[in-house]
Amino acid sequence: MCGIIGYAGGESDDTVLERLLHGLSNLEYRGYDSAGIAVANAPLAVEKRQGELSELERALTDGGTDSDDWIGSDAVDGFDGPTGIGHTRWSTHGPPSDVNAHPHTSPNGSVAVVHNGIIENYCELREELSAAGYEFRSDTDTEVVPHLIDQERSAGVDRFAAFRAAIDRLEGSYAIAAVFPGCETIYVARHESPLVLGLGEDGNFLASDVPAFIEYTNQVVYLDDGEFAAVSPSSVTVSDESGAVVEKSIETIDWDPEDAGKSGYDHYMRKEITEQPRAIRDCLRGRIEELGGTVSLPELEGLESPSSVQFVACGTSYHAGLFGERLLQRRGIPAQTFVASEYDADELPVDEETLVVGVTQSGETADTMRALRGANRAGATTLALTNVVASSAARECDHVLYIRAGPEISVAATKSFASQQVTLSLLATALADTADPSSSASREHLRELRRLPDHIQSVLDDSNARSVAEAFLESDAYFFIGRGYNAPVALEGALKLKEITYRHAEGFPAGELKHGPLALVTEATPVFAIVSGREKTSATIGNVTEVQARGAPVVAVTDSPETVGSHADYVLEVPETHPAVMPIVANVQLQLVAYWLADALDRPIDKPRNLAKSVTVL
Amino acid sequence: MSLPSAVVLAAGEGTRLRPLTRNRPKPMLPAGTRPILEHVFDQLIEAGIDSITVVVGYRGDRIRSYFGSSYREADLTYVRQDRQLGTGHALRAASSIIDGTTIVVNGDQLVDSRLIDDVATAHDVDAAATIGLVRRQEIGEYGGAILDDDGTVAELVERPQDKRAYKLNAGVYAVEPSIFDAIRRTEPTDGESSLIDAVTTLIEDGETVRGTVSDSYWLDATYPWDLLDLSDALFDTGVIGDEVASSATVHDSATIRSPVVIDRDCEVGPGAVVGPHTCLGENATVGSNAVVERSVIDADSRLGANATVVDCVTGIGVDVGHASVVPGGPGDVRVGDRFFEDEPIGALLADRVTDRGGVTYAPGTIVGATATIAAGTTVRGRIDDETEVRS
Repeated sequence: MCGIIGYAGGESDDTVLERLLHGLSNLEYRGYDSAGIAVANAPLAVEKRQGELSELERALTDGGTDSDDWIGSDAVDGFDGPTGIGHTRWSTHGPPSDVNAHPHTSPNGSVAVVHNGIIENYCELREELSAAGYEFRSDTDTEVVPHLIDQERSAGVDRFAAFRAAIDRLEGSYAIAAVFPGCETIYVARHESPLVLGLGEDGNFLASDVPAFIEYTNQVVYLDDGEFAAVSPSSVTVSDESGAVVEKSIETIDWDPEDAGKSGYDHYMRKEITEQPRAIRDCLRGRIEELGGTVSLPELEGLESPSSVQFVACGTSYHAGLFGERLLQRRGIPAQTFVASEYDADELPVDEETLVVGVTQSGETADTMRALRGANRAGATTLALTNVVASSAARECDHVLYIRAGPEISVAATKSFASQQVTLSLLATALADTADPSSSASREHLRELRRLPDHIQSVLDDSNARSVAEAFLESDAYFFIGRGYNAPVALEGALKLKEITYRHAEGFPAGELKHGPLALVTEATPVFAIVSGREKTSATIGNVTEVQARGAPVVAVTDSPETVGSHADYVLEVPETHPAVMPIVANVQLQLVAYWLADALDRPIDKPRNLAKSVTVL
Repeated sequence: MSLPSAVVLAAGEGTRLRPLTRNRPKPMLPAGTRPILEHVFDQLIEAGIDSITVVVGYRGDRIRSYFGSSYREADLTYVRQDRQLGTGHALRAASSIIDGTTIVVNGDQLVDSRLIDDVATAHDVDAAATIGLVRRQEIGEYGGAILDDDGTVAELVERPQDKRAYKLNAGVYAVEPSIFDAIRRTEPTDGESSLIDAVTTLIEDGETVRGTVSDSYWLDATYPWDLLDLSDALFDTGVIGDEVASSATVHDSATIRSPVVIDRDCEVGPGAVVGPHTCLGENATVGSNAVVERSVIDADSRLGANATVVDCVTGIGVDVGHASVVPGGPGDVRVGDRFFEDEPIGALLADRVTDRGGVTYAPGTIVGATATIAAGTTVRGRIDDETEVRS
């Protein structure tokens, strides 16, 4: 949720400031209710602001003289130190404000700190430091850190030792970076919050996530829990808790930095929706042999076929989990899906034959990570299904299966959901393969998966979702129903709509409507029904007539307009396909409905209020 | 030398290539297995250009979602021309981005990087524009230029019918910002503002417009069957060569007869014969014992078991059923009001045509997008988009 960046460049010019601001803009998807930077001039130059990054940039160019947090010299001229750190925040402790924004400093300006994570024992530390005479200006947990460091420094301890001693006092999760006045080294520590180092040609980086610096270097080192690093313009030294130097492997990231551009679209969300055919091609590459009817996932080598599968996930990924659950159930493999924050391995039957699959786009979702760690402790086999190479989930699970969606910037997940569904389809087939190597049903399923990029392309080419969305600009609420494979997509359609339009939306399994929600249905509540022509159509059509009888307009998302169309006011058509592939295509229509509705309502589509891309707090 | 940035004109549909352009503009049609536009980008980058502005219009989303915001090492910037009112009008859409000398190329014709390089080298700022020219016998369908002895362009003529010594205008220009004023001052012809007319205006103003003649290749597809010639020419020039992508699966008992390109994720089944002169686009499938020869099979298409496909061009997602037969050209073809005899085309199947198997295609058959054809039928002539052919 928060994002941190640091750059040690050594030159006394604008480079540090430039790269920090650039990095922050690439991290904005992690949170954006406030942002700040500190540059290691002597004295330290600090500026921070509530609001989007542009507020910080404006404060820097205006000189920022109206800020209380101002330490040191004025205007951008003062930000020319050799090294600096930056932070973009999504509030957990204390409301968004200039004061609560990072970096936090000690009262005398001896150190500035940025932090991502939660310090669990901050109350007692705060009391202790207050008793020692430290005055707290913010409501944040982070502010204890600069005070702890300052306390050590006042006792004459050198910078790195003071930093280590302070970190040693912390309980909880953190990625922390600190700079000292006039010092060209940044000190860094990590525990259960993401942190990656970037090795550049003329300077070195640290950040919560690779996109912060990918334009400058693709050579990275991932810090592990409990490790420290000293990042200077010419070198990066990693050490463990005892201070012993650790040899780390350098990994090369093969992302294209320009992938993060908008390609001329107004929003990343639209761009990412249109990228789905390409994302799915990448996801499928080398994994299906249609003529032979087989799926190959070398990543799963050594995975015993499980007696049962438990999915743990949050938000959109949870809906993907529900879809995976159905795929496995229909193949005779017992499966359940849990909201990760509700998952407790200690209270569930889990053994070494249980496969616990964490579905998380970022691989850093705190709730999902906690569930996976619990499952690991309980002795289950764990599998990460994630988009981010070498993310925490990827490194901590027994197995990892990448969804290969490419970077996703929009807070509202679109292409990553499609790629998760496709990967889960492959996983289900691979896990069932041992029982039934190439049944004709699975061959048809595989053929339709290979046709999926073109199916989605045809929806993108010809969708009438925009006119449907614009027909329902002023509705009271939006309901989504689907049955079987289409039920999870009904939930996802509603989630997408509420995330980016701020309108009330709910999704239900179609049969559930009459057991309560039907009371909410009126002429002013359109109902989107996802109906596959091949699966229990009559039952879902029965549900559609129930809502029509209450005067609600019906939008059918279907692959058989001739049988379903007569029951609907609007039809969003998808190509005829396998029932287990249809929801992946149907969801694209629902993404477009949500997008065009939000666009017509002029919402900040890529950054909906109160939401962050990667939720790294519990 | 460091080259200026480039503008690629990619907004037009290419109506003479219908029905292949039902869902995408001509620059996205396949030259070999990759879009024409991808080859254009390759040649620009080859010539040292690293910043490209793409003018998109008709079905421009297909271009933006395919390439994204960069291609290889070049940054791509997109501008939209909402109505297609000619090449001059298209270039004006990019006017806010252009300062200084700019290379302008067509996004739907294949040019050699040497030609781009030659134009950039020959151009200097005392000239208002420099045009890339190639020697060709047949210019009647294209644009011609008459050169003076000193290498300046005396006259530009579209579709010249007289016997003067024309060079072919390859559609590669170096222009100065003064071009925008010339475009504004030039009267549209038939409602279209043409870049060529604007250059003529510059010549009439007495400005220097140079021409540089190059022996490099220049390839264009005017009609659907030209896509076969285009891939042949790419094989001949070595722009594409024998290649089977590492993610493609070719059964041990299948036969590959060069030259052939088999792109990513293709599957070729047991006993199938692919080639010669055949391009299989990404994720295409050739079923058991199928035969495909001198054809361009675009992405996501599948040829059923025992199908025979010769001299065929397909769009994306075409399904040729089991045991269907495209016996090959020559055939007579109607395009719009024009009738072409003995063209080397077996069949042209637009995007998402589905045949249910055992279908025979008479030579020169053109099937529109998303048409379906019942099993066991014989089809000929021209079938419109979304038609259902019953037996």
